[in-house]
Amino acid sequence: MSTIAVEHVARIEGHGTISVSVKDGKLLHARLDVTEPARFFESMVRGRTYAEVPLIASRICGICSPNHTITAIKALEAAMSVDTTPRTALLRKVLVYGSYLQNHATHLYLFAAPDYVGAGSAFALAETHPHVLERALRLKKLGNELTTLVGGRSVHPITAVIGGFTREPPQTELAAILESLRAALPDALETVELFAAVNEPEFETEGDLLALVQDEDYAIYEGDVGSIRGGWRRPVSEYRDFLAESVVDHGNAKHSTVDGRAFAVGALARLSLSGKLLAPRAAQAAASAGVETGTVNPFRNNLCQAIELVDAIERCAGYIECFLEDDGESRPDAVRVRAGSGAAATEAPRGTLYHSYEVDGEGVVRSADIITPTAQNLGNLEADMGRFVAAVADLATDELSALVQRLVRAYDPCLSCSVH
Amino acid sequence: MRPTVAIFGLASDYGCQVQITNAEDDLPALLGALDIVYWQLASSASLPEEYDVAIIEGAVTIEEHVEFVQAVRETAKVVVAIGACAVCGGIPALAGESLDERVLDVYGRVEGVAVGRRAPRPLSDFIAVDYTVPGCPIDAQEFLGVVTRVLLGLSDPVSDDPLCASCKVAENVCFFDSGEVCLGVVTRAGCGARCVGLGRPCMACRGIAPGANRQGLASVLAERDADLDTVRRRLAIYNSREGS
Repeated sequence: MSTIAVEHVARIEGHGTISVSVKDGKLLHARLDVTEPARFFESMVRGRTYAEVPLIASRICGICSPNHTITAIKALEAAMSVDTTPRTALLRKVLVYGSYLQNHATHLYLFAAPDYVGAGSAFALAETHPHVLERALRLKKLGNELTTLVGGRSVHPITAVIGGFTREPPQTELAAILESLRAALPDALETVELFAAVNEPEFETEGDLLALVQDEDYAIYEGDVGSIRGGWRRPVSEYRDFLAESVVDHGNAKHSTVDGRAFAVGALARLSLSGKLLAPRAAQAAASAGVETGTVNPFRNNLCQAIELVDAIERCAGYIECFLEDDGESRPDAVRVRAGSGAAATEAPRGTLYHSYEVDGEGVVRSADIITPTAQNLGNLEADMGRFVAAVADLATDELSALVQRLVRAYDPCLSCSVH
Repeated sequence: MRPTVAIFGLASDYGCQVQITNAEDDLPALLGALDIVYWQLASSASLPEEYDVAIIEGAVTIEEHVEFVQAVRETAKVVVAIGACAVCGGIPALAGESLDERVLDVYGRVEGVAVGRRAPRPLSDFIAVDYTVPGCPIDAQEFLGVVTRVLLGLSDPVSDDPLCASCKVAENVCFFDSGEVCLGVVTRAGCGARCVGLGRPCMACRGIAPGANRQGLASVLAERDADLDTVRRRLAIYNSREGS
């Protein structure tokens, strides 16, 4: 019999406990109990005026706050039929890419990397691999500089509002950060090499993989929802028709299924669905790292995030160049309040994030639904943990426990998001 | 000798712990000055029996938190509360009223979910707090300043000033002049009025200034014909007790 139990698994955002048990090659249970307390955001925003809601929703997550802010804003704009300019979309994309750099650098280096060198934390890298830690901090800092420049600070953006931005970043500072982005490309490419060289277990998830998709772009800010196993594509506005949430008996996070089946979201899903649309250097890096469209090994989510660092740098630089040439407006017009309901989704660093709101004629939110990436991943993660442990149950418990924790971290879970 | 430090997260979005890691340039020096013996977010090390300093983010929202923070207080020589959730209840405390209705609303039932729940409260309702770093999120530099004071054993002075003083220095245009409500009149200063400078009114995420002139706020609001209900409701976003 193999039993794995890890209380308050470390180097993830939020508290959760792993418990897997296998006997005679047969899985008894595989659970990630989300012990992080519930915070009831969907009830908190009910009765609040539209302008207050993105600010509150941002506080669901300290890492992907730009995504919660932007997704809430887009859903409220859809509900009240508020138009925005292409210039506003450019700034929002740069803000979201800032959070990609911040999230992926933090996750890959501070959370995941210690596993590969047998260290308890990234602090140990200061002694053993100082250049790696310095690279991590440079990439993370660049992400924070981007979100600060566009949003006003690194966590919980200030300037993004319904209809546009209250302040635009100065052109000179944008031109300067363009240089920083170009200079950061080697750091991102070295991150790909680092994670490509890691020997990950051979393993494939059985679940579906879902992400936003677009015909011409590696979808982050908008698009339809695509399924790799189902081969379908459906509009975000219909997400409740294909995505079901249910309360589970072991933790405060709900679990999601699509057409009755567990699924995963995040970098692995995005690359599987949109790998052909990566920016040029990212596409090269993916090819030389041996990542092909259709990769379904969840351990490879780390490598996919590394490739997305390259893509984020290239794409973000492109958006800033467009912005510098654009002579449009991003200042919001006065919002014309009207009753309606609207849904929106963006790709947060950890996967597809859905927000939907119903607004009354006074601009007050009457109901809200928020589905975070980690809540979508939990069911698939548990299924993966179970199948993985059953397949390699003859390993020593310590080794098995380390590998299961590595699998959990590869999903980059945000348990505080999942309970929101 | 470097003090041993444990960093804990209660109910929160972890944004303030993330902000600690966002002080990238100073992080190596910080890690040199402190011996961080426990930090679930960043390290696999398990909680030791003893440590000198506890840094706590988040609000107390479950029964388990109450016993936990009391045990932390008995162990640590110094307790530092970081962020609005720990300092004044913050966003989690918005769920303080009608908790069971909210559970029903979100989970469709009240039994067997959100186990151990209680109305969210700030840390100082349960234990003595020696230092506070307010804000949502905390400012990384302000945090480093407080850590320096902890290291030197200095006191934790809280400025009496409301945010308006910072707006005067920054020459920000006052929101009240354009007929919008701003809570800077009673909010604890120290953030440089960053939000107002970027075109957003203050939401009082740093809590109420000890020397806040509530009468002054009332008269400003009366003069400007401001909507008192809006003021109360806004104040409740981060300071649930003040808004009621």
